[in-house]
Amino acid sequence: MSTHTHDHSHHRGLQHQFDNMGQQEESVSIGMWLFLAQEIMFFGGMFTAYLVYRSRFPMAFAAGSNHLDVVMGFVNTLVLIVSSLTMALTVYYAQKSNRTMQVVMIVLTMIFGATFLGVKAVEYTDKYNHGLVPVSGLNKRIPADEHAAPGGHDAKPEPGSPAVAEEHSNPRGEFQWHEYEIIEHTIAKQKADPNGHYLTAAEKVGYMSDPATLTLDKDKFRDKVRIFYFIYFMMTGLHALHMIIGLGLMLWLGWKAFKGTFNADYYMPVEMSGLYWHFVDIVWIFLFPLLYLLGRHFLHELGK
Amino acid sequence: MSDNHHNEHDEHIEHDHMNIPKYIGVFAILVVGTILTYVTAQIDLDGIFVGANTLLALLIAFSKMTCVMLFFMHVYWSPKLIWMSAVASFFWLAIMFSYTMQDYLTRGLGVFGQ
Repeated sequence: MSTHTHDHSHHRGLQHQFDNMGQQEESVSIGMWLFLAQEIMFFGGMFTAYLVYRSRFPMAFAAGSNHLDVVMGFVNTLVLIVSSLTMALTVYYAQKSNRTMQVVMIVLTMIFGATFLGVKAVEYTDKYNHGLVPVSGLNKRIPADEHAAPGGHDAKPEPGSPAVAEEHSNPRGEFQWHEYEIIEHTIAKQKADPNGHYLTAAEKVGYMSDPATLTLDKDKFRDKVRIFYFIYFMMTGLHALHMIIGLGLMLWLGWKAFKGTFNADYYMPVEMSGLYWHFVDIVWIFLFPLLYLLGRHFLHELGK
Repeated sequence: MSDNHHNEHDEHIEHDHMNIPKYIGVFAILVVGTILTYVTAQIDLDGIFVGANTLLALLIAFSKMTCVMLFFMHVYWSPKLIWMSAVASFFWLAIMFSYTMQDYLTRGLGVFGQ
C-alpha cells in the first residue's frame, strides 16, 4: 500500500521517524534502559534507607529479619527466576516467529508472577496476624495473655484489682515485638568484653535507657525493629507493585502475541517487556538476602 | 545510505546468540546461586571476619544480577550505548550510597566517650 519508492521494503512495525528497523530497535532499547536507570534510582532511595539504618542498628535488623519466613522468601526467589527464564524464552520464540510457544511462555510467566504475589500475600497476612505491620491500627489485635509467660507473675490479675485493664496486648492494633534474646545476648558479650565491637555507637544510644551501663530499654529496641519492618514493607510493597504492573504488561503482550503481532522482524515490545520483567527479578535477587538472610547466622550463638 | 544490496535481516540488531540450552544453563546458574546464598546465610562466617556473611551474600547477588543482565537482558550483545546506560545507573547509585554514608558515618550522636 506504500507509495514510497525506497529500495528497501517497509516493515509494518517501522515508525516513520526511523530509517530502518535496526535504528528503531536501538532507539527503543536506549529509551527502555534509561527508564530502567531511573527505576534503579527509584528503588535506590530505599536501598539507601536500608543501608543507613542497618549500619546503625544491625542487631534490631537481625532480630526483625530472623522473624521473616525464610522458606517463603527462598521459594519466591526460585519462582521469580523461573519466571525470568520463561520471559527470556518468550523473547526467543518471538524471534523465531513461533506464535504458539510465545503465548505459552507468556501464560507461564504470568502464572509464576501470580504465584509470587500469592506467597507474598500469605506473608503479609502472617505479619498482620502477629502485629508486625509497623503502622498502628493496621494489625490484628492480639489477646493479652498470648505472650505472658505460663504461670508467670503476670499470668493473672490480682483478685480485686480492676478487671483486666487491657484485653489485648495491642488494643489499637499497634506494632508488637516480644523477642529480645539476640540483643540481650549481644549486650552480655559487650559487657564481658568492653573493648569489643559488638554494638555500634548508635545502638548503645539507640537501645539503652543508660548507654554507660548498657541497660536495655525494650521500647527503644522495639522502635528500631519497627524501622526494619517499615523498610521491609516499603521495599517488598514497591516490588509487588512492579510485579502487578508487570502482570498487566504480560496481559497486553499475551493478547498481542495471540493475535500474531510479533515475529522475527518485529519483536521489540516483547524484548522491552522482558527487560522490565528481568529488572523486577533483579530487585528481588537483592531484596531476598538483604531482608531475609542477613542476620540469620546470629542464631547460631543463641543455640538455635 | 545506499542500501541496494541491503539484506533485510542485517537491519536488525543481531539476536542469534542465545539458544534454549544456553538459557537453561544461565537459569541453572541462577538456581545454584540462590541455593548457595540460602545455605551460606545459615553458616556463621563471622569467624573469618565480621561481616563476611554480608559480603558473600552481596557477591552472590551481584553475580546473579550480572548473569541476568548479560544473557537474559542481552546486554552482552548490545551496543556500547546500552552498556554505558547500564553501568552509569550503578555509578549514580554508588554516588548516592557513598555521599549519604559519608554524612551518616561522620555524624555525632550527642553522647561523647561512647
